[in-house]
Amino acid sequence: MSTTAASPHPTSIPPPPPPPSTNTAFPFPPHYHYPPFFSLQPTASTRLSQLHSWSTLIQSYCRHHRLFALSLVDALDSDLFWNRKLGKRLALRDAREVIAWMAGTEGGERAEWVDGTGKKGRGEEGRCWVYWRRPEEWAGLIEAWVDATAQRGTVLTLYELAEGDATRSQEFHGMDMELLQKSLQVLVKKGKAQIFGSDDQQGIKFF
Amino acid sequence: MSTSRRGVGLAAFSNNSVASAQYATHGTNIRAAHVDSLQTQISVFQQLLHQFSITHGKDIRSNPTFRAEFARMCNAIGVDPLAASARKPPTGTAKVVEGAAGGIGNLWSQMLGGSVNDFYFELGVRVVEVCRDTRAENGGMMSVGEVRRRVQKGKAIGGGMEVTDDDILRAVKSLEPLGSGFTIMKLGTKQMIRSIPKELNTDQSTVLEVIQVLGYITVSMLQLNLRWERARAKAVIEDLLADGLVWVDMQCDEAEYWSPTFITEAAGG
Repeated sequence: MSTTAASPHPTSIPPPPPPPSTNTAFPFPPHYHYPPFFSLQPTASTRLSQLHSWSTLIQSYCRHHRLFALSLVDALDSDLFWNRKLGKRLALRDAREVIAWMAGTEGGERAEWVDGTGKKGRGEEGRCWVYWRRPEEWAGLIEAWVDATAQRGTVLTLYELAEGDATRSQEFHGMDMELLQKSLQVLVKKGKAQIFGSDDQQGIKFF
Repeated sequence: MSTSRRGVGLAAFSNNSVASAQYATHGTNIRAAHVDSLQTQISVFQQLLHQFSITHGKDIRSNPTFRAEFARMCNAIGVDPLAASARKPPTGTAKVVEGAAGGIGNLWSQMLGGSVNDFYFELGVRVVEVCRDTRAENGGMMSVGEVRRRVQKGKAIGGGMEVTDDDILRAVKSLEPLGSGFTIMKLGTKQMIRSIPKELNTDQSTVLEVIQVLGYITVSMLQLNLRWERARAKAVIEDLLADGLVWVDMQCDEAEYWSPTFITEAAGG
């Protein structure tokens, strides 16, 4: 969270990349080492608490590894859904349910299917956004950074925002382009920014 | 000489009764004096205890070892800190307690200026919070140690509290008059806090105890070890499952039932 505070001098020597790096091992929560955690529980109240825990786990895992989206089929083979030490893994069907719950209002809309609503007709290639920050929250962060660096009125390219040296200390540095677009659209809708340019070279101006 | 003291004739009888009456009054006097001096002693002691708790109030609240020793001292002299909680002392005893002007409040809070009592009530609130937060996960049953860990971590404002298991038990006891349904039950060697007022039957507590020992249980394990019929074992487990007291792991040959208390313990292993 502390990284959200923008440095007042964007042109000074860039500080090291944001703390949540992929170098250190992700500290899994205690639930991860509890075998029944990998089977969705039949009791409603228990299941709800389990879904909560899964949602927290997925969000913090993605945040740690700076993943903005998951492809379920691939993710199922990753540590996130498969505890190899225990020999337990979350089944695809259960994982879909977890994501679906996260995407709903009950789960705080912390996920979203990339290809529409994740209907069965879409096949099993479900890709989903994991919103450890929701687009509105990203938009807020970016806006705050623009404010803090007094860049209102100037034009920035999207590439600059996501990959530029100036944003290296920011949490949105290295952000998924598609998600960046989504987040900026929030600002556009509010009339706080305007996006222009063609597909590859888009720029944005903040008002 | 000895005969003269006993007296002769009818007067001896009245003499006798006069003597015993005198003995009796003397006895009452002595007893009254005793009571007086004891009461003075007690009130002096209580005053000192009061002083002590005021000067060391901060330590009592912040230092668990100190608090435990203090509680032990109170117990030793027969002052149960929480026994008098939440009920007015009978008017008879209220006299003894120094400064019981209104007769309201309990012995503990009057003597200790409320700070120690407040400590346990505050802790009680934390315990309730922790139990409520985790109720969905563990079906309203938590080991005292786990509650302590969570209270110590404390995400509430003001951070965690330094407490011992003993403090937790005391705090839960202080909740009793509220009819909160918080009870302490023994499960094997562990003390558990039950935050849902629902009795477990013998079969259920047996199974939970076995789980504490073995880590998990399956229907056939119950059949083998307890010589239960399959239907009985199944029914018990299903009840526990429905109450959220066990979690099921279906990725095995036979469904394994685990106690949620292992969620935190599994992390170590």
